[in-house]
Amino acid sequence: MNRRDFLRGTSLAALSAAAPRAGTGTEPRGQVLDAHGWQTLALVQDHLLPSEPGAPGSSDIDAIGYLDRVLADPDMDPETKTFVLQGVGWLDDLAMEQAGRPFAELDPGPREDLLRGIGERPAGERWLSILIGYTLEALLGDPLYGGNPGGIGWAWLEHDPGRPRPTPETLYGRLGKV
Amino acid sequence: MSKDFDVCVIGSGAGGGPVALTLAEAGYSVVVLEKGPWLREADFCKDEIAACRRSTYTPNLRDERHVLEQQDDDGAWQAESTLQSGWDFWNGNMVGGATNLMSGFFHRMKPVDFRLRSELGPVEGGNVVDWPIEYADLEPYYDRVERRLGVSGRVVAHPQQEPRSSPDFPFPPTAEHPVSARIDRACRELGYHPLPVPRAILPFPALGRLGCAYTDYCGSYGCSTGAKGSSRAALLDQAVRTGRCTVRPRSMATRLASDQQGRVEALEYLGDDGRRRRLDARVYVVACQAIETARLLLMSPGPRHPRGLANGSGQVGRNLLFSSGGAGGGDLRYAGLDPVEVAGLKTRGVFVNRALQDWYLFTDPRTGARTKGGTIEFLFRHSNAIAQADAQKRDPEGNLIWGKPLKDRIKGYFTEGRHLRFEVFSDWTPVDDCHVTLDPEERDRWGLPVARVRLGYHPRDLELGRRLAPRAAEVLERLGAVNVAWGVSPAPPQNLVAGGCRFGRDPATSVLDPHCRAHEADNLYVSDGSFMPTGGSVPYTWTIYANAFRVADRILADLGGVRAA
Repeated sequence: MNRRDFLRGTSLAALSAAAPRAGTGTEPRGQVLDAHGWQTLALVQDHLLPSEPGAPGSSDIDAIGYLDRVLADPDMDPETKTFVLQGVGWLDDLAMEQAGRPFAELDPGPREDLLRGIGERPAGERWLSILIGYTLEALLGDPLYGGNPGGIGWAWLEHDPGRPRPTPETLYGRLGKV
Repeated sequence: MSKDFDVCVIGSGAGGGPVALTLAEAGYSVVVLEKGPWLREADFCKDEIAACRRSTYTPNLRDERHVLEQQDDDGAWQAESTLQSGWDFWNGNMVGGATNLMSGFFHRMKPVDFRLRSELGPVEGGNVVDWPIEYADLEPYYDRVERRLGVSGRVVAHPQQEPRSSPDFPFPPTAEHPVSARIDRACRELGYHPLPVPRAILPFPALGRLGCAYTDYCGSYGCSTGAKGSSRAALLDQAVRTGRCTVRPRSMATRLASDQQGRVEALEYLGDDGRRRRLDARVYVVACQAIETARLLLMSPGPRHPRGLANGSGQVGRNLLFSSGGAGGGDLRYAGLDPVEVAGLKTRGVFVNRALQDWYLFTDPRTGARTKGGTIEFLFRHSNAIAQADAQKRDPEGNLIWGKPLKDRIKGYFTEGRHLRFEVFSDWTPVDDCHVTLDPEERDRWGLPVARVRLGYHPRDLELGRRLAPRAAEVLERLGAVNVAWGVSPAPPQNLVAGGCRFGRDPATSVLDPHCRAHEADNLYVSDGSFMPTGGSVPYTWTIYANAFRVADRILADLGGVRAA
């Protein structure tokens, strides 16, 4: 999986090696994500699952914090982790090439166009699919994992989770692993 | 010379539990080795992320894995490690094995399944054979499983009903969903015979366990009440209470050592501290589930077993079986229904428990030949919220959806109706190209060769699925379901696996004798699903449990019968 696969179909001529990064300081960053990755992926997640009145979206469920913890899981497949992180750079490369600015500085309309373009290629589609999957985990997983605060994801979908609920001792990663 | 134990059982699932319980109750000392941990009711909860989206109950693929072979479009066999593909081929490694996670849909095989070759003839390109026993030989053990494990259900007369020694199940059916009566009506209107599906689930406290809590999260989850008939809750806990059964979790068998006469003389294993250990017993019973059982035998050559333990015939690992069939579903929309019907449909926790076996054996209208068909089961899509939401991210053409359109789709799916599904179980024809070998290169973290599984199938199995699935779709349409769709895939379900150590009378064409004792090692038995030469058109678990009790009785007889206290 490489950048070319991710972006195939677009002009590669004007791609720069490194997109400008957000400044250091008080921007949030995670265990794995740097400030720029955090900001960019949070915006992608907002786009994939937007917030609406009465219908929670990524920013309501700490989807970015959840994703960062997923990436920090020592048992996460290394190839998938690398792929997710590299996708941030490729996304910015495409944004720079098509709109002259990194993804985080674009308006929603151009962002959607960019994601549509990426979604037309197998690797880009896979990247988006993976992000949707983890965002839905943040929406509907047990609140003990840090998403779905107070069960708002479940409430939105009128979903009754099974019981017994997990405890801190039985959460994934805590229970004696096989 | 005294041995560490009378009986050593390797694997604590459906094959191991009955043997451990029978022999321990009869006064013999038993050790059960289990690769995974000993999890109990208090450890189980309905956490979708832990149970279904991460490998909590199965090994980390970096440590242990399989290599799977499939044919590409040119017919060439391509091998891929499951670490690369992500197609996890494990099933639940813990005390009780995969029976902790099963849904417990229990069906008996039928008399014809024991005599497929004689009654229906050979299948060209397949290795269909008769079993060396009849249904009548196994029937008392199906009955024993009903009583000892706890199988709940209701016998109804139908054209394909197999003979029973008892008139009904020892436990009444688990509570049913209102849609079950509607399925009954739809089936009867179509001229079919709906059956309540027997379950390995206690409907109320019994046998020293609690009853079902109807949480709506059964399959893929451990049972927090003990109602599910796992080998652990239903059998091994009792075996341990006799004081004569020792369960060693986190203990992985690595080799069965054999002597100059070809008898097994010791089991080598890795203890829970990771150190190499060795124990010996009078009798050894392998029950690691089909693929890993074949792997262990192939990893255990000896002076009289150059090709692997009990593999003089070359049959170990051959004629592996999965289950064929297909699956489909449709949406039962609330719109247009009255409030009582909607409330009924919205009911959670209780089971659909309906099946059709009208085509278990049927006459092919095109050829006039009697043909083995299968079982159709109806059930709601699993309640896992993340999985159901994730399934909405693609439109019917397979294109990814996101943003508000995705949210609307998810909201509609969850709040506008229920998704009713069906699964078709039909015979997996045994073929030469479905087998287990040791991978020549891939090693697990302990340096042992992993199992390499060639996933060949017979095209006839797909055709059969394509003929049965529309019958199920008919029922859904009759119920008023919309968007009814189904598919048949050759990809095998790894949780429905058997074969690899066929039993039979001829040592040239089988690994085990009719009592599942190895032809070539008289103190070695295999009691998991490996023994099955053909599969039947039902999930295997009840048959595995029943046969394990039968094998246990034989071992008991060989050891000299019940010991006086």
